[in-house]
Amino acid sequence: MSLPRARPPRLPGLQSSEPVNPRALAIWVAAVLLLSLASEDPVFRILTLGAALSVLLTRRRSGVRLRPALVAVALASVLTVLLNFLLSHSGSTVLLELPGWLPALGGQLTLEGAAYGADLALGLAACFAAGICLSLVVEPYQLVDSLPGPLSRTAAALGAAMTLVPRLGHSFLSVREAQQMRGWRAKGIRSWAAVVVPAVLTTIEGSVLLAEAMEARAFGSGRRSALATARWSVADHLIAATSLLTICGFVAGLATGQLPGWQPYPLLSAPALSWWPSLCCLLLFAPAVLG
Amino acid sequence: MSAVAEFQEFSFRYPEADQDSLHLINLQLGWGLTLVTGPSGSGKSTLLRSLNGLVPHFHGGRASGGAWVLGHDLRRTSTRQLAREVALVFQEPETQFVLATVEREVAFGPENLGLPQAEIRQRVASALGGMGIQELGSRRIANLSGGQRQRVALAAALAMRPRLLVLDEPTSQLDGEGAEALRRQCQELADSGLAVVIAEHRPWRVDAVGSASVQLRRGSVAQDESRLQRPVPKSPRPGPAFGPLRWELSQVSIGHEQPVAVGIDLGCRQGEVLCLTGPNGSGKSTLLRTAAGLLRPLSGSVSRLPGRIAYLPQEPGGVLHQATLLDEVRQTCRWLKLDCSPWPILEDFQLTQLATADPRDLSTGQRQRAALAAVLVGEPELVFLDEPTRGADPASRQQLLQVVGRLARGGSAVLVATSDTEFAGQIGDSVHELAGGSLRRRAEVAA
Repeated sequence: MSLPRARPPRLPGLQSSEPVNPRALAIWVAAVLLLSLASEDPVFRILTLGAALSVLLTRRRSGVRLRPALVAVALASVLTVLLNFLLSHSGSTVLLELPGWLPALGGQLTLEGAAYGADLALGLAACFAAGICLSLVVEPYQLVDSLPGPLSRTAAALGAAMTLVPRLGHSFLSVREAQQMRGWRAKGIRSWAAVVVPAVLTTIEGSVLLAEAMEARAFGSGRRSALATARWSVADHLIAATSLLTICGFVAGLATGQLPGWQPYPLLSAPALSWWPSLCCLLLFAPAVLG
Repeated sequence: MSAVAEFQEFSFRYPEADQDSLHLINLQLGWGLTLVTGPSGSGKSTLLRSLNGLVPHFHGGRASGGAWVLGHDLRRTSTRQLAREVALVFQEPETQFVLATVEREVAFGPENLGLPQAEIRQRVASALGGMGIQELGSRRIANLSGGQRQRVALAAALAMRPRLLVLDEPTSQLDGEGAEALRRQCQELADSGLAVVIAEHRPWRVDAVGSASVQLRRGSVAQDESRLQRPVPKSPRPGPAFGPLRWELSQVSIGHEQPVAVGIDLGCRQGEVLCLTGPNGSGKSTLLRTAAGLLRPLSGSVSRLPGRIAYLPQEPGGVLHQATLLDEVRQTCRWLKLDCSPWPILEDFQLTQLATADPRDLSTGQRQRAALAAVLVGEPELVFLDEPTRGADPASRQQLLQVVGRLARGGSAVLVATSDTEFAGQIGDSVHELAGGSLRRRAEVAA
């Protein structure tokens, strides 16, 4: 059996040493989500995705690995483009035509379908990247601490839930390793059941045990307190202020109908450029710039 | 109040189980230290879970008879309320962590009690100090060894300052120093008038002056309350003739990104049993995985003769996924194209009665034996076992001794990483200690 390669050292120097306040980050995430979903204009979506990626690159916690998250975002994006391209069958610029007897796929595949899929993928990627910031930029316990007292039980449950994905990843790797040593080899999709089933079962069992352990440690028995409370720096205030400004600007645009939209159908056209929503998007780079 | 807990004709059956896990228990637990012993699957964990109300409130199932803990009627008091006075550390500490870093994890219980920030800080520091892990406070739990995690779980329970502390197999992964720290803590708590109940397969590790003991068998309190004795080290084998080297590490540095130990020279010959001991977090599992070929060394060379490898990971539950234990062993035979019957290995580990049981319904100790049977079926040439006695009762340890002895006599080269120094003394032809970043031979038992 060949030995696995040692993991290459992580990129130094990009991640921030100054933690961002979780509440400020949560407001920023809300702004990214709003901008990504409120308008279908690809210019805004490119800018918000750029802002989310720049925050991930510059403000992620020391030692966390970005690659798995970025690969997941890229895969989801490619799948979105592909699905819309294959299934929309709308638009004027025909690139390919599949036989009509193919269920769902049969028909014209258009440039407009691919363009709209790419636009959707940009929005999706921006939302994913912003969500990932919540787990890679701040510690789960910082999020727990940042929620107000009445929501402390929800916050603790949220903190526990955020450890579920890393647990599943760890479980998957250790089960795969153990099964390989028992002679298992990947041969087609069905063979992966020997790894996926025990990994998922182990994670589910772990979740039940975790719930049991939380109960056994008096979780939910009364009002919670916290070991530490998050501090607000000047930069955190600026991040929160710019994010709120962005949210207000976009909400005003939505309310007055001045927010430009974009539709590639029936014939692909360039998106309109509007200076003030673009400026709002640029404000989302604040956490990266202020880091 | 004379008794910490009292059970009168108490029975409990898990949902969908066909027999009681606890059957007509009549028992009084007093203040001070109480040891609960008994074979795997005898109901120890269920009894311990009943002390804070997880049985029956969390698990459902059917309870009958009377049970009182610290004056509370168990059947009418919720776990959340009992948890303010009773702290429980589970058998598998890695499953009970809620938060990602050590300090926050230890603070989780006191936070749930709504204590002021200053007191939480003081309790966290005191609990970490009590378990000798002050330096781990800012570390991420995911990066700790099994033994270090066990200490964190214990610290988290101590930080609750309970009136009753319940520990399920607390030393299963602890090194000697950790077990001694725990024994001291328990003795201090017992001396200060609190109650400590410990289920332990190696009671001599936590035994304290004046402790009481309860022995369970098949869900009932057994009459025989004789204490288990510390096992004697292995006597020298009469001139075993080891074969050629099956694998060898030469000037190897081990670790994931940073080296945890350097300049390691170690080899295992055909028919030899090597044991690897050392403090928690010293890199035993990393060295074992490097020798098994699961991890590339940071420097140096690893050579291995070809042959079938059997590997038991530290968390063995992960390998079990078939509907029955029999299928689980057969699966290994199928994957490795072994022409052998699953029954002898099931017999070796006394699992024939459980052959049709779902491996995930078994107790921790039974599951460990099931995983051992699943990986050791056939005649593997190279055997790597990571903490194989975790959760094992004396009978299971004896079975494992016999199986490993048989494999070694058949020519297998065996490496066992364990914090169970008694077991290492019983099974190893030589014992090596990994500590402070280097490896040294601690004892050579064989001639």
